[in-house]
Amino acid sequence: MEHENRVVAALEHGQPPLLSKTTTSNPFFHTSSATEEGSLTILHLRRDNLVPVTLRRTADDGYAEGAVTNTRFGSFPHSTLIGLEWGSQVRASRVDTGSRGRKGKAAKQQDASIQIDNRLPTPDPQHDISNGCHTAAEEIGQPTRSTAVDAGSGFIHLLPPTPEAWTASLDHRTQVVYTADYSYVLQRLRVRPGSRMIEAGAGSGSFTHAAARAVFSGFPEDSHVGELKQVGKVYSYEFNVSRVGTLREEISAHGMDEIVQLTFRDVCERGFLFPIGFDTTPHAEAIFLDLPKPWEALRHLTRSSTPSESALNPDVPVHLCTFSPCIEQVMATTAYLRKNGWTEIEMIEVQNHRIDVRREQVGLKNEGLRGVNASAATVEEAVARLREKGGPWRHIQSKAERLEKLRKEAEERKLYKEGNLVHRTEPEVKTHTSYLVFAVLPVDFTDGDEEACMQQWSVDDIMKVEKPPTNGVK
Amino acid sequence: MTSALSYIKPNTWLFLRLPSKSLKILEIKPNTIIDAGKLGSFPSNLLLGRPYYYTYEILEKREDEACSRLRRVPPSELNAEIVNEDATPNESRGEPTTPSGVPVAFEMTEDIAVETKTNRLTVDDANRQALSQAEIEEMKRSTAGKEIIEKILANHSGLDEKTVFSRAKYLLRKRNKYLRRFMALPMDIGNIITYITEKEPHRILDIREEALGLVCAWSNAHVTSVELDNNDTEASSARSGRWLVVDETGGLLVAALAERMGILHKTELPSEGKAEPTTYGTEAHDTSDNNDGGVSLRPETAESTGAERSIANGTPKTEHVHRDFPTPAHGNTITLLHPAVQPNISILKYFGYDSNTPDPAHPMHTHLKSLSWLQLLHPEEDPTYREPEVVPEAQLTKWKSGKRGTYWKKRRRWERCKNIVDEAREGGFDGLVIASNMDPATILPHAVPLLRGGGELVIYSPTIEPLVQLMDLYSKERRTAYINLLAKGEMPSTEDFPVDPRLLLAPTLQTSRVREWQVLPGRTHPMMTGRGGSEGYVMTARRVIPLEGGVEARGNFSAKRKRTDTADATSAP
Repeated sequence: MEHENRVVAALEHGQPPLLSKTTTSNPFFHTSSATEEGSLTILHLRRDNLVPVTLRRTADDGYAEGAVTNTRFGSFPHSTLIGLEWGSQVRASRVDTGSRGRKGKAAKQQDASIQIDNRLPTPDPQHDISNGCHTAAEEIGQPTRSTAVDAGSGFIHLLPPTPEAWTASLDHRTQVVYTADYSYVLQRLRVRPGSRMIEAGAGSGSFTHAAARAVFSGFPEDSHVGELKQVGKVYSYEFNVSRVGTLREEISAHGMDEIVQLTFRDVCERGFLFPIGFDTTPHAEAIFLDLPKPWEALRHLTRSSTPSESALNPDVPVHLCTFSPCIEQVMATTAYLRKNGWTEIEMIEVQNHRIDVRREQVGLKNEGLRGVNASAATVEEAVARLREKGGPWRHIQSKAERLEKLRKEAEERKLYKEGNLVHRTEPEVKTHTSYLVFAVLPVDFTDGDEEACMQQWSVDDIMKVEKPPTNGVK
Repeated sequence: MTSALSYIKPNTWLFLRLPSKSLKILEIKPNTIIDAGKLGSFPSNLLLGRPYYYTYEILEKREDEACSRLRRVPPSELNAEIVNEDATPNESRGEPTTPSGVPVAFEMTEDIAVETKTNRLTVDDANRQALSQAEIEEMKRSTAGKEIIEKILANHSGLDEKTVFSRAKYLLRKRNKYLRRFMALPMDIGNIITYITEKEPHRILDIREEALGLVCAWSNAHVTSVELDNNDTEASSARSGRWLVVDETGGLLVAALAERMGILHKTELPSEGKAEPTTYGTEAHDTSDNNDGGVSLRPETAESTGAERSIANGTPKTEHVHRDFPTPAHGNTITLLHPAVQPNISILKYFGYDSNTPDPAHPMHTHLKSLSWLQLLHPEEDPTYREPEVVPEAQLTKWKSGKRGTYWKKRRRWERCKNIVDEAREGGFDGLVIASNMDPATILPHAVPLLRGGGELVIYSPTIEPLVQLMDLYSKERRTAYINLLAKGEMPSTEDFPVDPRLLLAPTLQTSRVREWQVLPGRTHPMMTGRGGSEGYVMTARRVIPLEGGVEARGNFSAKRKRTDTADATSAP
């Protein structure tokens, strides 16, 4: 409890809380061998319906089975989800969702009865989730748990969280940067483990999670990281206070406090430096700007002869990406970049689509079956049917008889391997997400540096007229 | 690691981007001459220590010198040139143009108002250039590029008739032709793709950067930090962060994944001089002193697995790292499955790792484990997997040192092989990433069961057909049929079910394509031409643990829903 208080206090002050090693287990970077109490778990209902849930034994919402997550595929008491191998398929349980005792405030807070991942304790003295206390709470505060009963139908899968699953599960607080875009952006920005990067306009945190995975090179206190390796970090900025609050909770719950430093600030006005503290500048190598006016933020992203006054790493070329939906924003951004020493300026858009694969059944033998095309598949088939209808010399089947016969036949057929295998673009396509402007700001290189290089790499010998061996150029 | 990509270091690979936009690859060695083809040649020393992402101009050769000198063109000068041209557009993606960066939207309207000329009067005639080809050739020998361009422009009779835009295009063409400039670019995955795609795209299965980005993201490859102070199940946690890779892109995929896992680049040691001209393969940082000549006489190297278990990430620093057959690391590793006796990972040499003369200090030395399909499926048939005879200590001491060395070498090779093979066959991989010419339907039956529950499967294919067929093998209908057969107590035939369709969740097929734009005031539009070739498709799915017996789906399926729903539900009747 004391520990949790410390977390809350730290959040108010906008400083990363100092968590002890045992609590910063990060479900994104390290997958445990099985689901545990407290595990952040993605409940996979269907491909585009993922629900992140933190597994608990006890909960305050009055179910006889303890914590329960209700989905459209049934109810899942957490007791049936804990201690399973990741990826397990789990059957729904029969849960009495009607007559449970309401506890007022806490229960009402549950949005649509789905308990979305939320690590911070509700201000209820009985509701103590800190480690080691739950057994006591169970004994005193709750009646004996009833064992979950199989519901007979409905199931879900339990998946360990990944940035992709997290992105897919996000409710749309803002425009989300989707995987197709962020995967390309991180690739192009040359973000590597150990990189320090700036993200401005954290929004819903989709990019934040992916960036954190990309820069992650170990926790600062990991013994084996050693002094040689730089610890990767994402310096994230957001100027919407409620988004900051939500994202901060998530970062903390996901054990990323030491990887992501989220600051509540309008970077266009106040820049990227930190006036107080140990780390006064991000010294970033990569920048991702998802802002309405990126060129205003870029004013604060310049090199300086005093490294502590620049948000950029003085020793490396800085890679930039801005993410803007409108072409006017792109034009203003590129104009600014061209005037201010950036090179490799390029604007692109990523066009991504998913593809449906299915078997298309065409043919008269499919008449009356579902999801098929019951027109003639070939000329021969059409002619045969016409003959059947027009020829007086044949016995004419009634339609009902014919359908019944076909239905019987279909039961014997292997429909999964019949028909044409076809593919087409899925019905919903994101035809435009945003324009991506990329640019590079090279390192400053002074005449003094050039002289030093001339000293170290003398060309006096080689410039003498007799020729040395040619360097292999392919 | 970072500064190696900021300044040009000796004995590293880098790219020069020529005015034609094509890339030239070279390994820069001190005191040599770099021949940049038509542009001329210059001493490598003039590039060493200099920063990447700068444009360098090859100067006129001085009378008394053997080759040209270089001039670093500061970005401000590139800007100034454009400003002098008074808002002339420029289609090169790298070079600055706009003179006044402020509200371009206004500038645009202004431009259009000023622009009254059209191409109505344009005459398409080569004779409008007064200079003959011979005269230009003569000038090229005697004059600097800038002056040539000026003269050419001055001698073009129709230049005034051209619109601002077409004049700018003309100028740009001439500049690319006569200015002897190049940009120095560091060796990284993106530049390698550009380079190979230009020359022989099939070598990397036509993979584009956007497809590789998707593959890496969905594979969830990342550094796995193992918490050593946790005393829980040391063995299992030290084993985490293992990716299984089937790579026939010459090592490009391995390199990209290794970069995400922090094992592609050699950690720069602070003791190493800033630009010390060392050569790969001859140094042996931090390796123990009795590890000389590649043959250790003591068996501890291979047997110290207990101690090594504690180091699951990063380069083991205090261990023996044997040059030929190091004990592989346990966590944060890539296991590479290859069809031939040796894997083709030639692209890794650009990152300082050559499997023929491995650098023991390179993290790939211990974190990349390769095994052949034969070793995975039938290890007993592979000679390397067969244990060499154990010779008692007493007899060993009588042997000559050479023979004893060979003995230990054989033992070590076998131990490494056995270690890799046994560990791979045990499974539990966090991800399986495939970019291969082989039919994926023949890979998956063996490889998918090796994934841990919840593990990621990512398959790249240059063309869609193999993936369409694979998606069909995991279709909902086929899965339902499979489960029904099992429920009836029948064994599904491998002919109808080459793979167990229950093992993958939500297989998804997607493709990404990047479209490049020209951004100029009044002239912003997508590029007119681009590269054709393979589109590149990525299939993703996650490994799941199916429930035994029939599973009934539930849900609010209205009739309308049913048609559009491609639910992953395994519905049994």
